[in-house]
Amino acid sequence: MITVKLFGMTKSLADNQSSLILALGKNQSVKNVIDLVNKRYPKIGELIYNKKVLVSVNQEIAHEDTKVQEGDEIALLPPFAGGTVSRKAQVPR
Amino acid sequence: MSATDQNDLFVRVQREDFSVDAEINRVRSRSKRIGGISIFLGTARDHSKGREVDSITFEHYEGMAQKKLREIRERALKDFDILELLIVHRHGEITIGENIVLIVAGAEHRADAFRACKWAIDELKQITPIWKLEHTPTGEVWVEEHP
Repeated sequence: MITVKLFGMTKSLADNQSSLILALGKNQSVKNVIDLVNKRYPKIGELIYNKKVLVSVNQEIAHEDTKVQEGDEIALLPPFAGGTVSRKAQVPR
Repeated sequence: MSATDQNDLFVRVQREDFSVDAEINRVRSRSKRIGGISIFLGTARDHSKGREVDSITFEHYEGMAQKKLREIRERALKDFDILELLIVHRHGEITIGENIVLIVAGAEHRADAFRACKWAIDELKQITPIWKLEHTPTGEVWVEEHP
């Protein structure tokens, strides 16, 4: 079993749960985790497949092929709240 | 004080408000060679993308947020000619006008203090797992500033 932490809108899309517990076999990768998440919450799956939500493993951004094992810390990361660049700042002088 | 303890003081994610004066003095006390201190203070504003905002809740990924902020401090110390960099970011509910985030950069000369400070806040907004939930009269909105 692995625990997937949810943040931001992914929590809202998962009935406000802050984590999901998934049954994951051996020799699995992030792709398998995403597929399991997608089965339960297709709206979250779609965001991950479209790269709108990233996956981290042990606090580092991961890609689909990243291996996952029991005890790993996995999280779904929506876009970070980056603040706004003002229009004025974008006009070249 | 060990290097780890220094990191804990100079990179923090906390619920409580901070004192800008106290944090500036924390940086100032690191070296008598500091001749210029540049700061960025982010505060909560009452409008965002055309909507009125009553308050903001900041959510963070405990552990990873601090890890990324430490990386930013280490990279700034390495890539800019500065003597110290401090980052404090609050989490939890924050009312309009309150402090959110503080960057303090201390250097011998002002040019690199300015540059490091700007780089650090720009980088923070790109790589730090912190999310903003705006509470508006018509409901709550998770803010997505980056496409």
